[in-house]
Amino acid sequence: MRPYQVGTAAAIVLIAAVAMFDSRRVLSPAPGTAPGDVGSAWYPFWAAAVVAFGAAVAGYQALTRPQPKEGVFAGAGSVAAVAKLVIPMLLYAVSFAWLGFYLATGVYMGFFAAYIGRYKPWWSLASAVLTPLAIYLLFEVGFRLILPRSIFYPGIPF
Amino acid sequence: MEVLGNLFGGFATALQPVNIAFLFIGVTLGLVIGVLPGLGGTSGVAILLPISVVIARGDIAGANATTAVILLAGIYWGALFGGVITSILFNIPGEPWSVVLLFDGFPLAKRRGKPGLALTSSFLASFVGAFIATLLFTFFAQFVAEKALSFGPAELFAVFVLSFATLVGLGAESPFKALAMLATGLLLAAVGFDTISGSQRLIPLVGVENDALRSFQINLLSGIGEILASAEEQGIGYMEKISARLGFSDLLEALAALRQRIRLVVSNSIIGFLFGVLPGHGATAASFLGYGLARQYAKNKQDFGKGEISGIMGPQATADAAGVASLVPMVTLGVPGSPTSAVIMAGLFVWGLQPGPLLFTEHKDFVWGLIASIYLGHLLTFVICLLAVPLLAMIMRVPYAIITPFIVVISVIGSYSLNNSMLDVTWTILFGLVGYWLRKMHYPLAPLVVALVLGDSTERELRKSLIAGSGNLGFFFSTPLASLLMFLAVVVILIPIVRVVIARVRRTPVPVAPDAD
Repeated sequence: MRPYQVGTAAAIVLIAAVAMFDSRRVLSPAPGTAPGDVGSAWYPFWAAAVVAFGAAVAGYQALTRPQPKEGVFAGAGSVAAVAKLVIPMLLYAVSFAWLGFYLATGVYMGFFAAYIGRYKPWWSLASAVLTPLAIYLLFEVGFRLILPRSIFYPGIPF
Repeated sequence: MEVLGNLFGGFATALQPVNIAFLFIGVTLGLVIGVLPGLGGTSGVAILLPISVVIARGDIAGANATTAVILLAGIYWGALFGGVITSILFNIPGEPWSVVLLFDGFPLAKRRGKPGLALTSSFLASFVGAFIATLLFTFFAQFVAEKALSFGPAELFAVFVLSFATLVGLGAESPFKALAMLATGLLLAAVGFDTISGSQRLIPLVGVENDALRSFQINLLSGIGEILASAEEQGIGYMEKISARLGFSDLLEALAALRQRIRLVVSNSIIGFLFGVLPGHGATAASFLGYGLARQYAKNKQDFGKGEISGIMGPQATADAAGVASLVPMVTLGVPGSPTSAVIMAGLFVWGLQPGPLLFTEHKDFVWGLIASIYLGHLLTFVICLLAVPLLAMIMRVPYAIITPFIVVISVIGSYSLNNSMLDVTWTILFGLVGYWLRKMHYPLAPLVVALVLGDSTERELRKSLIAGSGNLGFFFSTPLASLLMFLAVVVILIPIVRVVIARVRRTPVPVAPDAD
């Protein structure tokens, strides 16, 4: 666990350092617009400084204090369970732009039902068709929210 | 009395058909979310927050911001009740605040064979706790709001500092991780245009300019993160199952049990209310406090852990009272009492409302409609729970392979609907992954969410104070109230340090408080 804790803390410190650099004009002699005002960069600069301080101490504690022996995941099964969710989710998000909302959602739901749930084909097909249909009725008809269409639109109506 | 007149007006608003319909939808969704172990009340509210924007802008006939807040608050009330069912029947807590019910709820259901009594006792205590808290809310909120109207920037800044101090000092395993997350929230809140000078800050680093949009993305962080955490745990653990149908005899038995414990339930409800009003905390910590109090003052301590009804009623009354109370600082001071109310407060900003004492004068219908809906929402939830426990328990059987992608799809629609932007969807997924990783590394997300919501107001009051005091830091202590709040904040911040010192002296491990919900 130690390397992951230290790595996470280091990443947070790095992000904070970038934000501090971006707000470096806080160091200019007259940053504010009125007497007493500290200027627009003061707040983000010091917020980032506190982020860096908190993460640096957390990282130092992870280095110097006893850490649990087990890793980040309980085992290969846990990694696989998360990967099975993350990879299709990323592909779903990427495919959204081309396949449009309804086709992408249908494929995503159907894939999950068939691959993760091991359902029979007609149940997977039902999940793939009924979910986008229910969402269409709820959001497009009910809430009048137009969701993105596929590259095949208007050849096919979604 | 003016309060009663306002409350009747609130009922007239809350009882409009569209509001009742969305209240029903909200509590039902909340119950479902509460029953599902992979999704918490905060995430449920966060996922539906973007959809509430569509409701608040009046796209549905008769709906407005009051309808939207009734929907979101309804989810919270439903989730407060729903987590109970799985704790008692399956030995799996549906929500963090129902973990405590594993101690006595499940033993009463399984070992003593009384699942109906365990559930009904829990629902009854929740209802009474929420009802007492709502009464206190009704009669004290306006008074607090009127007082708050006289607050200057120094007092307001001190209130924010005290909120942040309680998050860092009382709520997390590592105060430094909590501090880092809190400051991250403040930093992210600063992205965009400076409200005083109008200049740009950090925009090229993040690539977005819309503050409200970013708020949603951070709030959604907890939703996707919970799904991933749940996915990791699927298949781990053994699920005990007890079937239950609630009969009239269960209700009578629970009422008799309540009569015997009425002092405990009432006192725990009041304590839960006072605890919930403290910014930054909520039902989870309150539930453990309620259990501790019930056990501490019981004559039959030896029965706790074996199905003692006081071990169910005590924490349930406290948790629900704290849940209701967490909305009090939101509407009176503009400070969320819990992460869930922080998410609801983010909604208020986007619907064009300014949370805080002015709500009572400028948006009377909204505030009193919300208060009236709390009474109605809890009554509705109580009745649904009594009638539909077998149905709600069946939700646990809805397959993971359907529920999980469906939650992702709803999250994606929510983020897309804000600005019809694919970039928002990308941000949602990205923040979900980051949130999941931070959770695994034990970085608490509650301080981040609260700081993100309060960040703008904190900076505004800080700079107004500095300008008013011409840069003199003594201005922050210029009034007795501001000095008192600042003093309390320092005391709360020192608590973890004192705990470490005491633990070192005694050579015992430092106790860890549960994460706020």
